[in-house]
Order: sequence, then C-alpha cells, then structure tokens
Amino acid sequence: MPATRPSSDLILHRLASSDCEIKLKAIREVKNQIIGNRTKKLSYIKLGAVPVLAAVLAGADADSTPGSSLIVQSAAALGSFACGVDAGVRAVVDAGAFPHLIRLLSAADDKVVDAAARSLRMIYQSKLAPKYDFYKEQDMGFLLSLLKSGNENLTGLGASIVIHSCETSDEQNILCRAGALEKLISLLDGSLSQRDSSLESIAAILKNNPEVVSKFVDLQNRRALSSIIELTKDRYSRTRLLASLCLICVKNSSSCYLQDTGIETKLINILLELLDDSGKVGDNACFAFSSLVAEKDVQKLAFEANAIDKFNSHLQNCALHPKRLEGIFLALAALCSKFECCRSKFLSLQVLNILVDALSYDEANVRTAACICLKNVSRSIKNLSAGYFTNERIITTLVRLLSDRSTSVQVAALGAISNLVIDFTPQKSKFIECGGIKELVQLTKSMDSSLRLNAVWALRNMVFLADKMCKEKVFVELTVSSVASLICDPEPSVQEQALALVRNLVDGCIDCVEYAFAEDGIILDAVGRQLQKSSKIEIGIQGMYLLSNIACGNESHKEAVMQLLFSKAENGSHSFFSQLLLSNDSRLRPSALWVIVNLTFPSSPGAFDRIVKLRSVGIVSQIKKMVNDPCMDVKLRARQALGQIITYGDN
Amino acid sequence: MPVRVLENTAPSQVSGANSGRSSSQSCSLLGVGQAFSGTQNVSSVQKDEAWRVNVRIQGCDLEHGYLCGTMEALNVPMADTPVVTFWEGEIVDTKNYTFFTGKWEATPEDDIRHWSKFPSFSPLLGQVEADGGKSLDLSNYPYIFMRWKEQYFVNVGTDCGLTIAGFYYICFSCSDGSISGFYYDPNSSPYQKLELKSTNDGRSGFSFSSYELQ
Repeated sequence: MPATRPSSDLILHRLASSDCEIKLKAIREVKNQIIGNRTKKLSYIKLGAVPVLAAVLAGADADSTPGSSLIVQSAAALGSFACGVDAGVRAVVDAGAFPHLIRLLSAADDKVVDAAARSLRMIYQSKLAPKYDFYKEQDMGFLLSLLKSGNENLTGLGASIVIHSCETSDEQNILCRAGALEKLISLLDGSLSQRDSSLESIAAILKNNPEVVSKFVDLQNRRALSSIIELTKDRYSRTRLLASLCLICVKNSSSCYLQDTGIETKLINILLELLDDSGKVGDNACFAFSSLVAEKDVQKLAFEANAIDKFNSHLQNCALHPKRLEGIFLALAALCSKFECCRSKFLSLQVLNILVDALSYDEANVRTAACICLKNVSRSIKNLSAGYFTNERIITTLVRLLSDRSTSVQVAALGAISNLVIDFTPQKSKFIECGGIKELVQLTKSMDSSLRLNAVWALRNMVFLADKMCKEKVFVELTVSSVASLICDPEPSVQEQALALVRNLVDGCIDCVEYAFAEDGIILDAVGRQLQKSSKIEIGIQGMYLLSNIACGNESHKEAVMQLLFSKAENGSHSFFSQLLLSNDSRLRPSALWVIVNLTFPSSPGAFDRIVKLRSVGIVSQIKKMVNDPCMDVKLRARQALGQIITYGDN
Repeated sequence: MPVRVLENTAPSQVSGANSGRSSSQSCSLLGVGQAFSGTQNVSSVQKDEAWRVNVRIQGCDLEHGYLCGTMEALNVPMADTPVVTFWEGEIVDTKNYTFFTGKWEATPEDDIRHWSKFPSFSPLLGQVEADGGKSLDLSNYPYIFMRWKEQYFVNVGTDCGLTIAGFYYICFSCSDGSISGFYYDPNSSPYQKLELKSTNDGRSGFSFSSYELQ
C-alpha cells in the first residue's frame, strides 16, 4: 500500500530534530518535494524551512560522515529553493546561508564542495544574489582559483559569478587585468556546460568595453577570437548563440576587428536561424539580433537577408512567449531605426496590427518594446504625411499608456507619440479627442526628468504648424506659469524642448505671438533669464528662433524683444546677444541674425529707432564683420540685415 | 526691402578626390515648416494657363541630400478641391546626388537642357558637362539645385485625372528663399515653369517652427 506523504508541519518538526538520521531524512524529503514545484517552495519558505536548513549548513561538521551528508543535502535543498523563485533567493540570503556555502567550497570532502558550488550557481542565476566584489584582491584571487580549478562545478561557479556580477566597465577592466579572460578561454575546450558558461562570461566582460575587446582580440595571437568564430558553427544552438554574442561585442566595439571575415552576414543568418528554437535560445537570439543591427551597415545586410519577413512570420504565431515578443519588437525596432526601405517593408507586411495588439499586452516589457518599435517605424516624414498612423486605435492605446504604471512604458509611449503627432494635419484632432493633451501636460509635471523631457518634446512636436485651436488647448492646459517653469527646468534638455515648444506656439498667425506675453510676460522673462544663464548651444538656437518669431509680430512685439536683448547692455560687445553672434556654431549665428532681420524689417514704423539702438550697442558694427562669414547662411543673413539697416542711412 | 546679394564668385572645385568635402549646403530658409507660394505655368499651344501653387517643407536631411514636403495646386480645372501631393527631393550636393538624374526618363542631355534654364547654373555648366559636377564644391554656393519628385496624392485618389509621373528641376535661392523650377515629363507640355516665393503668413518678418523626430 502506498504511504501518504507526511505533512509539511511534521517535516518541519523533524528538520529540527536532534537525531541526525531523522534530520537527514527530513531534509531529503523537503528537497524532493520542492524540486520544480514553485508552490511547494513558497509554502515551505512561509513555514520557515529555509533558516532551519541554513542552520544545519552552519552547524554540521564537514569532516564527519553524517555531517557531510547533512551539508550535501541541505546545500542542495537551499539551492533548489533559490532556483527560479525570487522569494527563495531572498530567504536563503536572509538566512545567512551564503557565507557558509562559500566557506564550504574549501572543504576537504569533494561531495561537500560540489554541493556548495552547485547551490551557489543556482543562487547566482538570480539578480537578487549578492554582488561579488571584484575590487577586493582576496575575492578576485578566490574567483581566479575557481576558474582554474579542475572541478567543473567550481569553474562553472566562477563563470556564474562573472555573468552575475560583472556590470561596469571598471569591473570588466579589473577582470581583464587579473587574467580572467585567459582562464575563461582555456575553458572553451572543456565540457559543453563549461564552454557555454565560459562564452557567456566572456561576453559579459567584453560588452561595450572597447579597451577590453582590443586586449581580447590580441590574446593568443587572435587564436581566442578564431576559436569563438569557430564555435558559431557548433552543433549546439546555445553555443552558437553565445559565441555570436561574443562576436557582436567585438564587432560593436570596432568594426575593424572582423573586417575581412564577412562576419556580419554570417551572424545575421545564424541568429535568424536560431529564431526557430522555440525556447530561451530563440528568445535571446532576438535580443542579440537587435544589438547586432544597431549600426546602419548591418541593418542594410539584415534587410537584404529578409530579416523583416522572418520576424514577421514568427509574429504570426499567436502563442509566442512574452520574452520572444519583446525580443522581436526590439529587433524590428532596431531594423527600422534608419532605413526607409525597412519601414516600408514593415508597413507592407501588416505587422502594424500585431504591434498595436502588443501595446496592450500584460507584460510591461512587451508594451515598451512595441512602443519603441512604433517610434522607429514612424520616424518617417513620408509615412507620417501619408497618415499611416493617424488611426484611432493606435492613438487611443498610446494615450492610455501615458498613465501606465511602468515608467519605461510611459517614456516609450511618449517617444512614439512625439513622432505620431507630427502628422502634418493642423487640427491634430484624433489626439485631442482622446484626451491626449491632458495626459501629456500631466507628465510635464512629473518628478522623473525623462518623463518631463519626453512629454514636453511631444507637446513641442504637436504644436508644430498646428492651428490656433490646438495651440490654445495646449496652452490653456499647460498654464502660463508651468511653461515658464519648464523653461527654467533643472534639466537643460527640458529647457531646450520648452523653448522649442514656445517657439512653435508663437509661430503662425500674428495672434499666436501673444502667448509669450500672457500674465505680465513671465514666459518672456524666463526666456531672457535662460538665454543669459545658459551656455548650451541648443538652448541658444531655440531661444533665438523663439525671439525671432516674436520679432516678426507687431511693433510692440518687436519692442519687447529689443527690451529683452538690449535694455541692460551698456556695451554691446559684452551683451549675451553679442556673444551669440560670435559663437563658433554655424547654426546659432544665423538664428541670432534672424532676430536682427526681423527687428529691422522694412516698412515697420519703429525700425529706424531700433536701428539707432542697435548701432549704439555695437551690434551693427558686429554684423558688418559677418558679411564674409565662412558659413553661407550666416553671410547671407548678415547681408540681408545690413541691407535693411542701410536703407535708413549708413551712419 | 531685402537687398539681393549679387554673387559673382564661381563655386570652388574640390581639390582632390580624397579631400574631405566641406559640410552640406545649409540655408535656414529651406528648413522644415517653411512655406512658399506662387504659380506653375501649365500653358500649352491651345491656351495660357497657370495654377496657383503652395509648397511646404516637411522634412529636411541635408546630410543625405534629402528634402520632402507637400505641394498644393489651387485652381486645377478638373479638380473640385485643391490637389495636394507629397514630394521627395534630391539635393544636388555632388555627394549624395549629382546634376545627372539617371532615372525618371531623364537623359544627361535633358538634365543639362533644364538646368541651363536657371541663370545661376551657367557658372557650373562647364564642369557639369565634364563630369556631371562631381568635382564641384557647392557648399558655399548661394543657390541650391534639387529635383523634386511627387510620390503620392495626399487628398485625392489616383483616379483624379492628374498625373505625377514627372519631376521638377528646382533652383532655390538662399538669399531670399525664392524657388524656380521646371516640370519635366516627356508626356506633358515641356518647360512648365514653377515660380515660388517665401511666404510669412502676413507677418512682418520671417518665422521659423521646428519639430524633432525621436
């Protein structure tokens, strides 16, 4: 007759038994019950089994036979608790098991060492595992001893530590200097598991670090690189993927290392083929692909290799894992980031409908990736002007995402909206109808600067060539004081977008200039303050075009600009405006000259008085020096301004 | 009144095949949002006719010699509403594009015949005849030469009885933002002239808006 399983409470009681046999049996029982069973793991964690196991680990004598058995079993159980369950990792770490597991790696009994190493590897799979300190000489020495050990579990643990904890370029440099790469390369000849974990560690050390990549390429007379190129043809798909990842790190660091090998096309084909793997390898191949095609030349090759068709055919499969969906949208986003031919292909395949569905997906990462993809596909004036994206479903979904609980979704949605609102229809009606302006304005008040930046950016694009009604709605919703605060935002990038927003608001019909003068001109005051204070070129450019737009209004508008620029200047050569005219930036000088062109515009009644003032503060003589400027735009604008000034007399 | 600056200096030649080209021609009057209006002469032997035309620049990427925008024809006889088309432009910067079209049924002879109708092209003619103008450095030339090709109708269907099969040879004056152009379509009346001037929405000066794609 089959025996019934003892209850969890009973087992827990036996775990605490002073009888070694009973304790060992109970640990085994727990271990067997929790393997692959998330619910059981959570239930035992709740009952407090993990601290009990950690205590066994800490108290047992590794040199005695019963003690070693207890350690082996409890280490295995603790590792199992940590495997795939965040709460388990947390419980194991909180119970203080981690230092004991590390200590046991130096035990005399091989079984104990193996059990501790396996357990630690499982813990290091989680982001919640404690970060390894590569800066401590002793710890680095210990890591290297793991990597050069003859024990596969220990080398595997060493690799897991690198994969888990090597994040910054400083850490990569330390590992490289300490000789970790050489050790890892020597493991490439080992077992399948050693090879794969070694490849993954190498990729972690090389990622985005040109200095380390250049040292890696020179290792063993490029033999290390050749071995990895060879492994891209391995019969195991995971090995092919990981070898490709290493090569992508090398290629993205500098295209010169792999110039003669035609490696880009090979990598594209390998990764596209790996998409057919329905598991993690296929999922990760999508992410590797998006990193591979970050550059233009590779995007073209990927387009020619029909990558968009291939991703599209995978998207047609309804039962995709969220990770896969995310990866595919990021890969498509990368592919569509630069070339119009890729965007056209994307649109011709009707992928847009699937993308819009993904905007409402449960997983935040999928929503983010879909927004990024939409942003890149819509980075096309031709497609925007054709109205491909002014569809109610897209707009309403995106507006809804503006109040998403994930900030990264909100930022990505703002990116897509920033492009979509440049639809070249003056009314922007669809966006207004679904409450988009209110949501955007709300986000301009966010504490998160990336949300503020992107929200102001979207509003700036929205009022580009918009009609009076749209501008009015934006302006009223934003409020005058809020516009002024955004111009003085702590973040220079927000200031720049805010100035560009006002520049667009005061463009168009002459009534629109009045926006800058609302509530005693606090917006214009803020503009003046920011222009005097900031040394950022882009802020100067936006500010000058903003003033130039005001200066092509009526007489009082022109006078206000004069007042702002020259009231405090005792000597023109010291004024900030004079400094802008002297800028080395060939975009800034014309923007400043347009202000003068508009202030001295023929037939405006006050032009003469303004010219007198401009002469007195030295601006006219400064412009005279610009008529032979090396930049043609500057030269022509200086001549245009001077031509207007001279009609009122040359002194 | 704006003073027209007379340029009598011929464009310089690029000194060597590998020498770095100076930056692209840039002119703030040819930026996004800028509007132009004027006429296109569509006269034929039967009758004199001109359509009023408005143009708006929507996109500009000087690095790649790319420009795009819309063109609105106002009193087109067979259309009830103004007809708006979207066009894409190739800027002749001798880096991305040369004076030779190489497509759209335009031979080098057609090209030279049309470009030569612009007075500002005459200092360039010799070099263009020699090598298509590849060795010219136009970055400081006060005129920008372009080809504008209409890509699709924005507000009417393709069954509107109008054709956008041809393209425009365009000459833009950086001094005052005026545009001259000739429509070329082997199947339409030859040398239909486009003449546009920069417009300013009735404001006393020049206004500039901008957007930035993400």
